[in-house]
Amino acid sequence: MRSLAPLNWSLFFGELVSGLTLGSIYALIALGYTMVYGILKLLNFAHGDVYMIGAFVAFFVLQWLGGPLSPAVTGWLAIAIMFAVAMLACGALGVGIERFAYRPLRAAPRIAPLISALGVSIFLQNSALLLWGPQFRDYGTFDLIGVHSYSIGKNFFISNIQILTISVSIGLMIVLALVIARTRSGKAMRAVSFDREAAEMMGIDVDRVISFTFFVGSALAAAGGVMFGIVFGQIFSLMGFTAGLKGFTAAVVGGIGSIPGAMLGGFLIGLTEAFATGYLPGGSVYANLYVFALLITIFLVRPTGLLGSPVIRKV
Amino acid sequence: MAALLQLRDVTKDFGGLRVVDHLDLHVNEGEIVSVIGPNGAGKTTVFNLITGIFHPDSGEILFEDKKISGLPPHTITNRGLARTFQTLRLFLNMTVLENVMAAAYGHTKGTMVESMLQLPRARREEKRIRALAEEKLSFFGQRLAGYRYDQPAYSLSYANRRRLEIARAMATDARLLLLDEPAAGMNPNETHEITELIARLRDDAGYTILVIEHDMHVVEGISDRVVALDHGLKIAEGSFNEVATHPLVIEAYLGVRAAEEAV
Amino acid sequence: MSPVPEDRPGPIVPEGAPVPPDEPDRPRVGTDEWVAQVEQRREAGKGLTGVIARAWERVPPPGRLLLLLGPFAIFPFITNEGNLFRYGLITIIYALLAIGLNVVVGFAGLLDLGYVAFFGFGAYLYGIMASGHSGHHLQAEIAVPIVVVSTALLGLLLGLTSWRLLGDYLAIVTLFFLQAFVIFVNNANGGLNDFSYPFVGKVDLTGGANGLDQIDPLNWFGFKITTTRGYYFYTLIALALVMTMLFFVNSSRTGRAWRALREDPLAAEVMSTPVNRLKLLAFMFGAAVAGFTGTIFGAVQSGAFPGDYDVGLLITIYAIVILGGLGSIGGVVIGALIVNGAPELLRSSSNARFLFYGVLVLAVLFAMRPWYRSLVVLAGTVLFGLAVHAIVAATWSRGTAGHIEGAGTLGRALDHWVLLPSHPERIAGWAYFALIVAALVLTIVRGWWRVVVLIPTLYLAAFVWENKLVEQVSGATRLILLGALLVVIMNVRPAGIFGTARVEVV
Repeated sequence: MRSLAPLNWSLFFGELVSGLTLGSIYALIALGYTMVYGILKLLNFAHGDVYMIGAFVAFFVLQWLGGPLSPAVTGWLAIAIMFAVAMLACGALGVGIERFAYRPLRAAPRIAPLISALGVSIFLQNSALLLWGPQFRDYGTFDLIGVHSYSIGKNFFISNIQILTISVSIGLMIVLALVIARTRSGKAMRAVSFDREAAEMMGIDVDRVISFTFFVGSALAAAGGVMFGIVFGQIFSLMGFTAGLKGFTAAVVGGIGSIPGAMLGGFLIGLTEAFATGYLPGGSVYANLYVFALLITIFLVRPTGLLGSPVIRKV
Repeated sequence: MAALLQLRDVTKDFGGLRVVDHLDLHVNEGEIVSVIGPNGAGKTTVFNLITGIFHPDSGEILFEDKKISGLPPHTITNRGLARTFQTLRLFLNMTVLENVMAAAYGHTKGTMVESMLQLPRARREEKRIRALAEEKLSFFGQRLAGYRYDQPAYSLSYANRRRLEIARAMATDARLLLLDEPAAGMNPNETHEITELIARLRDDAGYTILVIEHDMHVVEGISDRVVALDHGLKIAEGSFNEVATHPLVIEAYLGVRAAEEAV
Repeated sequence: MSPVPEDRPGPIVPEGAPVPPDEPDRPRVGTDEWVAQVEQRREAGKGLTGVIARAWERVPPPGRLLLLLGPFAIFPFITNEGNLFRYGLITIIYALLAIGLNVVVGFAGLLDLGYVAFFGFGAYLYGIMASGHSGHHLQAEIAVPIVVVSTALLGLLLGLTSWRLLGDYLAIVTLFFLQAFVIFVNNANGGLNDFSYPFVGKVDLTGGANGLDQIDPLNWFGFKITTTRGYYFYTLIALALVMTMLFFVNSSRTGRAWRALREDPLAAEVMSTPVNRLKLLAFMFGAAVAGFTGTIFGAVQSGAFPGDYDVGLLITIYAIVILGGLGSIGGVVIGALIVNGAPELLRSSSNARFLFYGVLVLAVLFAMRPWYRSLVVLAGTVLFGLAVHAIVAATWSRGTAGHIEGAGTLGRALDHWVLLPSHPERIAGWAYFALIVAALVLTIVRGWWRVVVLIPTLYLAAFVWENKLVEQVSGATRLILLGALLVVIMNVRPAGIFGTARVEVV
């Protein structure tokens, strides 16, 4: 157990940066959950596994480019390519999942798509296990782009990959927010999540909008997966489960269906985990328990999540 | 007891919209009161406020002189009010009889453990509930009786579903029935039947009734008193003829010009 | 009350048409009646399943219980101990768990994703009260009721946190609870990572990652259950009792209230049902059943180990409940048989191989109508395979260098049919991907196109099976098939095998 001395600034800043980095990954995952929930009222259990597949696709792209030690292009370009390919591939994967596992169940009782999602999740996870084995795969970030630490003042340290992660995440979130607020597709998404039938009657192609939502959500998750690989260096087939759980929690804590809520929730969970690891007894082992306690507290105070809107039912 | 049901200065806002505006309403025992008004006037919201689905932002609602505003819906129902829904909310996958029996929960006592062990008290009560349900269904003649008992509710025709909802409300042992557009979607024959039915509910079964209705034939046929709402405000109250010819009411339904011409 | 106004139009009766009966009390034959009968016929179910379903309905409930559990009662006398444990006892334990979960999910409609934590809690608490590890040796008649009540209380606490919460929030709270539970029991061994409790300091509660060992056998009034057969019958009787009690509850006021709450919580609440209280009741009941089953499992294993109470088991129990049909008491028993029996059968790869090809052939026979199409498909696949095999053998020797081990005549026949490259890893991966795409395409095409696409798809499936899936048959493959099965079942029959197709209020 670390000392509780609050004047230990370097620990504080260290955990802060850690938390923001982790939080930005969780936020990306949470966004996918919240967008899909907002539009279909479905908890997409398979989302965490899409994140995992994104990480693996990027890994194989890197291998194809020659590996971290001798890439065919410079390190940063390789990373850009990894992002692009992973996001596109997982976007397509998300669209495919929606098309085959959820769309036929639009009119079925609500538990049916949930179970279908569970089935997809099990399928993806174990397919990855089958094809790629249980061993950890190394991104080799150190070899690829080098890990440099920058400092401001005496106590604040941040590494280049942490900067990369946080800035790319925030960048993606800004792009998403702009898309939703300014573009026609964004407006269509909002319309469909308000009232699907009415949107359909207004001439919106609901199927296309839903596919688009899944595409974007899955692409964001893939980005998160790639980032995880870069920051933590190692990926494995079962990483989707815990990350998915945390991302899901983040979406719910922030108010499911609310996009700013998902972002807020992601950072909140990331920061909680980091600070709990650093400051509270039991540290990293019990970090999840502390997140759980946070979750319960938030629910008791605000049952619909921090930024969620209370459901107004027309009776 | 002044009136069976009293709404005093009840207001409800949704976001920026005032849906019910300082409403005073009362229903005396044994009366049939109709609530009319154009769509969006707040009529169903009033029902929702009375039955506890929403809580009033100000004002209070009293039943038998005791405050019920703020209580959870099932408690309010146990006090003696029951309602039907504008858009029909039956338990579609349960049988006709079960729908009615389910509503008897509030005034029965058998616990889960007693039923698990099939103790005599639970068995007796179960028989009583069944008899009660059959009795309420028999109010509707043969339509919901006999072979119909064990049919799932989704197999009923529209008119029968409406009747079932009323039977279900009756099984809560209520004194006051709130009927939300009972004649909606019915053809003239069925409307005529519903009108007679509502009258029978009061005359033969002793219910006090508050009805929301659009069909003026029904309103005229059953009401002791009519209340007209528009944009959440009460704009007229009185006998059917008084309200039907009231300029504000005509204006609400047909516009200012029609009101001027009617005068 | 004023009479009906005279000028209202009556029903329009065309010339010469039969006059409908005037009495409003009698059902109008031809309208209401017809509607009711058509609906009933549509619900009745077609073909063989419909016949079985109708026959089942006619058997009185005690008879149904006997039919379902009778085979279980005979099972111990026709098999050995190992099989009795793996196929028999575990199945019944899963069935008990599934029944408890069925009450929570199927009756009351709550999504409880932490259910197996109650199961683990029951096992661990029993172990704390009666094991060599903890030093206490309470007898079952004291320990078991304490466990059941405590687990119910735990369920109450957890349920209270979700008071007023929408169903989806309950899902995540319970899922996290399960995670928390697993972390806790993994670390509550008085060691480094454990909490230090007030007054007593660090206590070894659960034995940590090694588990709580030396749990006493169940000791009811001095009578100890020590044999597998003994536990088997004990659990079977418990299952029968719980099923009976649930059956009674289902047609009681509480059962109706649960079903009403599942149908339409708002309407139920307005119809005098205290919805939140009933949700809590269902939650507690499910927890109590899980806790009780935990005592059995702990005693049978003589220990409680963290790895047993994880998400994997949760998924298994959910699969049982869904397969058997939400809300169907008897269905979960069948579901448990399928979900536990099938993977056990799949443990040996030669068994698995028979099962795989068998299921494939049956699926084709059942799915392709009319019957001659399925024969075309099967024959076509065999011929296609032989052709491909011959071509590849002639042009690329490494393509057929592999060999199927030890599967007798089937293996030898397959050797000449399936492509078995000597280094299959990479191509098997791409083939897997191609198989998924092909299967998805199959769902889109129709008619004879289906036949055309199906033939290479089947061949590809055999290829993927022999070169990849068969290796991992007791691990990843099982779960892959389970996942695919869940998706397929939801698409084909969302209510589960024995659930009734439900009409839902959107």
